[in-house]
Amino acid sequence: MLFTIAWRNVWRNRRRSQIVMISIIVGVVAVMFNDGLSVGMVRQMLDNQIGSHVSHIQIHAKGFNDNRVIQNYVHKPELVERTLEGTPGVKDWSKRVITFGLLSSAMNSSGGLIVGVDERREPEVTSIKASLTKGSYLSGKPHEVVIGQRLANRLKVGIGDKVVGMASALNGDVGSDLFRVVGIFETVSSEFDKTYMFTSLASAQNMLELEGNVVEYAIVIDDIAQVEAVTAELRRKLGADYEVLSYIDLLPLLVAQVEMYGEMMYIIYMIIGLAMVFGIINTMLMSVFERIQEFGVLMAIGMKNSYVFRMVMLEALVLALLGTGIGLAMGSVLLLILNAVGINLSMFTEGLTSFGVGAIIYPRLTIDSVMSVVIIIPATALLGSIYPALKATRLQPVSAIRYV
Amino acid sequence: MEVIRLERVHKTYSDNGVPVQALRGISLQIQQGEFVVIAGPSGSGKTTLLNIMGALDKPTKGAVFLEQEDVSQLSRDTISAIRLEKLGFVFQAYNLIPVLTAMENIEFTMMLLGIDEKSRRSRALEVMRELDIEELADKRPNEMSGGQQQRVAVARAIVNNPSIILADEPTANLDSETGGNLLDLMERMNRDHNLTFIFSSHDQKVIDRARRLIILRDGLIENDTVL
Ligand SMILES: Nc1ncnc2c1ncn2[C@@H]1O[C@H](COP(=O)(O)OP(=O)(O)OP(=O)(O)O)[C@@H](O)[C@H]1O
Ligand SMILES: [Mg+2]
Repeated sequence: MLFTIAWRNVWRNRRRSQIVMISIIVGVVAVMFNDGLSVGMVRQMLDNQIGSHVSHIQIHAKGFNDNRVIQNYVHKPELVERTLEGTPGVKDWSKRVITFGLLSSAMNSSGGLIVGVDERREPEVTSIKASLTKGSYLSGKPHEVVIGQRLANRLKVGIGDKVVGMASALNGDVGSDLFRVVGIFETVSSEFDKTYMFTSLASAQNMLELEGNVVEYAIVIDDIAQVEAVTAELRRKLGADYEVLSYIDLLPLLVAQVEMYGEMMYIIYMIIGLAMVFGIINTMLMSVFERIQEFGVLMAIGMKNSYVFRMVMLEALVLALLGTGIGLAMGSVLLLILNAVGINLSMFTEGLTSFGVGAIIYPRLTIDSVMSVVIIIPATALLGSIYPALKATRLQPVSAIRYV
Repeated sequence: MEVIRLERVHKTYSDNGVPVQALRGISLQIQQGEFVVIAGPSGSGKTTLLNIMGALDKPTKGAVFLEQEDVSQLSRDTISAIRLEKLGFVFQAYNLIPVLTAMENIEFTMMLLGIDEKSRRSRALEVMRELDIEELADKRPNEMSGGQQQRVAVARAIVNNPSIILADEPTANLDSETGGNLLDLMERMNRDHNLTFIFSSHDQKVIDRARRLIILRDGLIENDTVL
């Protein structure tokens, strides 16, 4: 019955309730949109990094990540490969040689990362092959190289042009080789496109005199949510001579950013919540003052203070739940549409590709943001109605009834 | 059986710092089943007296006993409970919760007592039948006339089987025929259920029907007669 009263009271002053509800709805949709956009953006950054090179898990010889030199190569590749084949959850893996080096054309030269990849396995792990805009991927023939568009621009080379790669070989001498550009790729990260160059594993091993040795294993797993578990499993199996690092270990800054966005959202919730609190205080106070006589009569016939309090709170809660419900529905539809269509930010593309996001952002609807909205908004409304509810309980029945 | 006793009750209001003596030493006893009208000119203290008898207001001096219990010793919640169980109120106007139908208004006090919905329904129907207001069951206050609203208010006041009904000028906003009907109703309740009625009025037609008439003047009892 208390709910019936609250429900009907909400509709008693239709216009006022609508205004409060609209402000709640706008707040909810704004929070969800902002949340979805930020989450979508950082997740895209993360996905791009994972997809273009990092993969889910990497295995190196112990100490490689701190001292990234090829002398730290993996000594027992058979053991690593056997372990990878025997670990559930591992989907695909590739092996690599990776080193800092210099690439020169007739016109120019540029430093970067020279990566030798197993050209058959790598496309299962990363998306470079799929990102090619010109030419073709590594075929397995020696002396082929695939580079980013940015690097190609800098070196002023195109498909079929020759470039010279140079890097410190295993024995410390300078190793160098002549390559021919067979493919040019473009990812969403301009930084990546001017830094990475890919050649076949054999060519890289040859140039660096690595004699069939591998520096890095890159692994993708079936379910990214299991990354910690699979990493731990591989770590346990491989023992102390190897370092097994998940993308969380490899991209600490980006992962921290994802978490930071989550916390930042709480601050935004707080701000929107605060604005809502005042709206609710105002509305509920008006609603209480309009009904002073009514409350007076209710108290006179024997309604306890605690009941009066609950009545006002319940009314605010009904308002908030209605607003939250509608806002949630509208926000979800909006996000689902935007998630499918994407928001084209090509106006700002230049700025965003240097962050590795891409020109089109796909906002995401997360359970987290839905949960936050569902909990925080009604809680805020209750918070805002405490004062008006207390005000109502302070009424004296006699003076309330007399009040005109 | 004594239901209300007042001992030398004083009530002084402060009107912007100026003390106003609304009651100046009222002592009286009311027995179960009495039909009392409190009359007197405007400002004589009728409303103040009723409010104090109904524990809606506290005396400045003196004591109020409801069924032998000293009201000043009770907590606010206990007083609420007493009002709910022992007293029924009918005010001059705005008695009903606007968003509830007549039926729901009558049920409301029973809900406050924690009575389950089914029993509430049947009891509310019973009372409405007795007061012949069944056809108002689904109407909201703004769909009812003043007299109809007052009848529903009486139904609500009696539904919890209180021992006392306090009514402050219940007929003031009604035309004389409707007012007369309301009085018939209250008389019948008084006769059939031995309910104590105490109401204020300065309407001669109402005063004529009193069985005990208390006349107030300047906060004092000028006359108290059983007719
Ligand atoms: N809350 C208040 N503050 C100040 N003075 C008050 C207050 N309530 C009542 N009074 C004064 O107390 C006196 C008695 O008032 P009360 O309302 O009891 O009279 P009444 O007999 O009911 O009058 P009426 O017939 O006009 O309803 C009046 O002088 C009134 O002005
Ligand atoms: Mg009065």
